Amino acid sequence: MLTIAGILIAVAIIIAIDVPVLLRKKLHKELWLFSFLLCLGTVLGIVQALHIQIANPMDWLIMVYKPVADLVETWLK
Amino acid sequence: MLEGGKISIRQLTILVMLVTIGDSILVLPSISTFYAQQDAWVSSFIGMTAGLLVVYVFCMVGQLYPHLTLIQSIQQILGKWVGAIVSLLFLAYFFLSATAHTREVGDFLNIEMIQETPLQASQILFISIVIMAARLGLEVIGRTAEFFTPLILIIFLILIMFLLPQIELERIEPLLENGIKPVLMGSIPCLAFPFLELVTFLMILPYVTQTKKIRQGFLQGALFGGIVLIIIIAMSVLVLGADETSRSIYPSYSLARKISLGRFLERVESSIALMWLLTISIKITLYFYAFILGLAQLFKLKEYRMLALPAAMLLIVLSPLISPNITYYNVLIAKYWPYLDLTYGLLFPLLLIGVYYVRKISKKPTEA
Repeated sequence: MLTIAGILIAVAIIIAIDVPVLLRKKLHKELWLFSFLLCLGTVLGIVQALHIQIANPMDWLIMVYKPVADLVETWLK
Repeated sequence: MLEGGKISIRQLTILVMLVTIGDSILVLPSISTFYAQQDAWVSSFIGMTAGLLVVYVFCMVGQLYPHLTLIQSIQQILGKWVGAIVSLLFLAYFFLSATAHTREVGDFLNIEMIQETPLQASQILFISIVIMAARLGLEVIGRTAEFFTPLILIIFLILIMFLLPQIELERIEPLLENGIKPVLMGSIPCLAFPFLELVTFLMILPYVTQTKKIRQGFLQGALFGGIVLIIIIAMSVLVLGADETSRSIYPSYSLARKISLGRFLERVESSIALMWLLTISIKITLYFYAFILGLAQLFKLKEYRMLALPAAMLLIVLSPLISPNITYYNVLIAKYWPYLDLTYGLLFPLLLIGVYYVRKISKKPTEA
């Protein structure tokens, strides 16, 4: 719970720093992208704080590059 | 223009040099020695030669549209939709790289210096500096790099000087014991980590004054950085031996531990940690800056600075996610990351050049 509270406080601080300026300058597209990134970060953070297992993006990367890596390694043995 | 700042050729050269040294100074010796054993210095030499050619390719890409950054020129060359996809892939690469490097900082501090502190604490402290630099813009990053370069070079020279008495030449014998193949294998990471990752500079080349001297400055920076890396790899093998170098995670840190001057000068290894933290912070800053600037350019925003804080938060929560433990991270970096770098640092730039000239020959009007 403490971790989630910490995350929410951090989010609140980030909003307090950037959002008033964006609203004042009427930068709506900027605000959308800002909110999207922030939401993504918050959700991922809370999911981790609750110790829910989620897929590691690096596993996909390894899956993609494994054939190439193995090929090069056998060739240069 | 999103970024109003300009950097000089000297600052570009210095930035290229520091990013080339980057994290490679700490992790590269063990990875290339693992494959090439005592011939790792040959590998690093091959890597640097190939690396300079790659830098030449980067300059060619930069000259296709000298006033546009990588993300903008991708959209010019590949059209709106394909361009957007490739741009997103590049942005994901910048972001993942920044995340992986931040993780590396956290792991290093956690293993070697502050064991009790949680990983996140050191990472958040570290990333705040990166946020600050990215929000302040390119000019500040350039001047910071310029400011710290003398310190970095002095630390490096002192380190090498104090290690000279411990060199034993038989540690690099016999030359090419198992033929040339392991040496070539070892040269792949030597090419990928320092040089292919310089692809980020395509995001800042338009902001360099004196466009004509870019190639010279870029190549010089890569050359200086490469020489520093060759020296550190050769020293690791000459002082620690190939076996110990390939088995430790941070060989140059162990290298600095060896320094002992008559029980008077001891424990100077934190100086190499300082040097490494400075170079890697510049590297992460550039990646992070390229990510937020590129994102703003892709979505045609008027501002990019406000993206720094949410992106940094995403980075912090992503960094424990990308690897469950240090072993996984090391396998990922040593075995698979070079191919990711090859894709983005070589395949995509060559593709861009190819498509540009095919379009030019077929004389189709390039769509914006």
